Amino acid sequence: MPAFLTAGRLRAAAVAVVAVVLVLLPLVSSPYVNYQVTTMAVFAVALLGLNVVMGYAGQVSLGQSAFVGIGAYVAGYGTLNGWPVLLSFVVACLLPAVVGMLVALAAARLRGLALAMVTIALPIVGTPVAKRLSDVTGGSQGLTVSWLEPPSWVALADDQWRYYVVVLIALGVFLLTRNLVRGRVGRSFAIVRDNEAVALSMGISPYRTKVLAFTLASTIGGASGFLYLAVVQYTSPETLSFGTSINLVVAMVIGGTGSLVGAVLGAVYYVLVPVLAGQLDASRTALLSGAVLLLVLFVLPGGLVSLPRRVHQLLTARRRRSATTPPGAPDGQAGTPALTSDGVAP
Amino acid sequence: MSYFVQLVVDGLATGSVYGALALAIVLVNRSTGMINFSQGALAVLSTFVAYAVVQAGAPLLLGLLVAVAFAVVLGAFVERVVVRRFEGGDANTAVVATIGLLVLVSGIAGAIWSYDPRPFPSLFPNATLGLGGVFVSVRSIGTTVVIVAVMVLLQLLFRFTKLGLAMRAVADNPSSAALSGLPVSRLLMIGWGIAAGLGAVAGVLVAPQLFISPTMLDFTLVYALAAAILGGLDSPLGAVVAGWFIGVVENLAGAYVDVIGNDLKIAVPFAAMIVILALRPQGLFGRRTVVRV
Amino acid sequence: MSLLELQDVTASYGQGRVLHGISLSLAEHGATGILGANGAGKTTTLRAISGTVRTTGRILFDGRDISGLGPDRTARLGIAHVPEGRGTMAQLTVRDNLLVGAYQRRDRRQIATDVDYCLDLFPQLQARTGSPAAALSGGEQQMLAVARAFMAKPRLMLLDEASLGLAPSTARTVYDAIRRLRSETGLSMLVVEQNAVLAFSLVDDVTVLETGRVTVEGTASELMGMDSVRRAYLGG
Repeated sequence: MPAFLTAGRLRAAAVAVVAVVLVLLPLVSSPYVNYQVTTMAVFAVALLGLNVVMGYAGQVSLGQSAFVGIGAYVAGYGTLNGWPVLLSFVVACLLPAVVGMLVALAAARLRGLALAMVTIALPIVGTPVAKRLSDVTGGSQGLTVSWLEPPSWVALADDQWRYYVVVLIALGVFLLTRNLVRGRVGRSFAIVRDNEAVALSMGISPYRTKVLAFTLASTIGGASGFLYLAVVQYTSPETLSFGTSINLVVAMVIGGTGSLVGAVLGAVYYVLVPVLAGQLDASRTALLSGAVLLLVLFVLPGGLVSLPRRVHQLLTARRRRSATTPPGAPDGQAGTPALTSDGVAP
Repeated sequence: MSYFVQLVVDGLATGSVYGALALAIVLVNRSTGMINFSQGALAVLSTFVAYAVVQAGAPLLLGLLVAVAFAVVLGAFVERVVVRRFEGGDANTAVVATIGLLVLVSGIAGAIWSYDPRPFPSLFPNATLGLGGVFVSVRSIGTTVVIVAVMVLLQLLFRFTKLGLAMRAVADNPSSAALSGLPVSRLLMIGWGIAAGLGAVAGVLVAPQLFISPTMLDFTLVYALAAAILGGLDSPLGAVVAGWFIGVVENLAGAYVDVIGNDLKIAVPFAAMIVILALRPQGLFGRRTVVRV
Repeated sequence: MSLLELQDVTASYGQGRVLHGISLSLAEHGATGILGANGAGKTTTLRAISGTVRTTGRILFDGRDISGLGPDRTARLGIAHVPEGRGTMAQLTVRDNLLVGAYQRRDRRQIATDVDYCLDLFPQLQARTGSPAAALSGGEQQMLAVARAFMAKPRLMLLDEASLGLAPSTARTVYDAIRRLRSETGLSMLVVEQNAVLAFSLVDDVTVLETGRVTVEGTASELMGMDSVRRAYLGG
């Protein structure tokens, strides 16, 4: 099939172009741009983790910021206490994983709101706890570190070196997660998300699947916390605050739920919007974010990643509509497509 | 002893505020099956309206009335324009939609009034009342009394008026209600309006203590959600009682348990919630048949 | 002029079309039964009339085209739909259920009279007026559903499978009361019923549906005389 070959070649070409751009970008752009792009990579990983539990496994989590925060604190504590970087990284992933798993073991039997509430508890309770444990976390002041400078044999500036380290680790996390969600684990996530009864009948334990999804999400969140500290060199209770969690959910949905590319787009949004809004008025960020999220939910439920497909869909729908006149819609509540017929059906 | 009583009364006052917001959440949940994460943000925006009225030189009581009227309209508008789209659909999408509202509505408040906390006048004098050697603050008693009165009024509305009957019918079985000629969509709007109005009362009452800012009720919302779950999402009485329970217990725990202190009070309702959900997933007052939680 | 007239009505759920151009008419004070196998489109025909499914074609009620109106609008015009599965308000008391039925009415005194009439029609409900509908037996819930529909003082009642899930004797009791309701009030009825014996005991005319199309029409006695109908619906 030549069309398939062309698509495959296009894809390969696109990947190659992206790879070249990613490699060359830090060499030609300013430290500020490098910093922003690196931050995008950090939050792409955080959103990827959230996507695993919310997008792929369909469980609402409002606690992702807690894992990012724990990862960042571990990395900071490790740096200040002279741990090897690799050890910091491993612990920064493991500790959130353990916390996430313990919470999931207790909460994964709950559904919907109850689950959302237990996950809210993480950032809400985590913030005062972080302030309390000031010996480890630096209290409200937070931790400032100075690490991950380029080794002497590398002729790179700080921002370029950190860019490469962060983007490389982020790519690794994405590849691992991609293999996971496209394999058997991903299928079990999808089945549990769509219908737990079916999952049970297929011998998949919804409980264990959810615990696994939460544990994965918190591990990935921890990794992004490590990367966060690598870029920002500072962390505070703000990193794990409830507000951060909310913003992560907002960015994930805007980028595209249940999509790897969506996580990247969400991260671009997460980093860019405060910058763009800040040029107008910093206090408008939330206003803009909320409006964009609702707009996306209304016109683009699949998120930015679904934009090409949606445009195509709208175009073909319009073509079809002009070809045949539509039947008169019996619509008691005008403008409420979700409620017609099935909403009113007994 | 006096200290203890003061703690309990103060706890009842904050608990009343949690309970009022929790009741708003339960009302919305019963009628539309949704959890409104923006309930607190709607209340804050309405409280800012009261603030603006007071800034313009009008008495606070007028501000309260204007705020409640504004909230009712705002709640109805939000239901009609935004929420309706997500009713009866995917539950996770509905949660995200109300989170979007939360961000948007507090963003509006922030854009107009900035994020700096500002002092807010109280309906009640800042005095204490001595009763047989026990001193309690007038504000706490006043807050509790006003919210209890509002709840009694709501109960009368639901039990003894035609509108209340219709709203109960829609909450119970919207499709049959429509077959009986009830204007379901208008009743859902009214339900959201009443819930938002209740939130506005809670916001105005608690604002003097918290100082008004767009994020004023973020924590209160979390307490209210905890109360709604504790009480059982379909039980208005449960929401109110759980609100008081949380208010009193966190106050006592914060004062008497050293490890907890003032900053970790917030962990108390969560601990209670997790324990109770493990033992009784439908909440303290919820019906077992409802498996929405 | 007929009270209700369907002209070439189709109805679909999502992509799937269930009715393929139904036409039927019902005279004022008349009662028509709709027979047919599962999936023939009987329930959908009722839902098309009350406005709870997407339709095309014309649905005339008292000369007015009501197609496209939602269920609350058709109810206010005088169509009372007793849905399959009864559709009572489970947490509301029997009395509140009846009052919900009378929601659109303003004549308070007459409402009280009609509540009494319903309790007379269904004496089983008399002792249960304060109980939530969920506490009633299946037969009592069905009676409540019919009574609630009647409380709207409709001109047309759409009755969907009123015998579903009931013991034969209970089903007979329900139909006896509905027959009495019809003879005492002259209420027009469109009746979907699996149990053809019960249906024939209530209606004047019968329409048979097969896969979304009308295949046989006639008076009840004409259809009783047809071998094919007897074999398919009356067990002999």
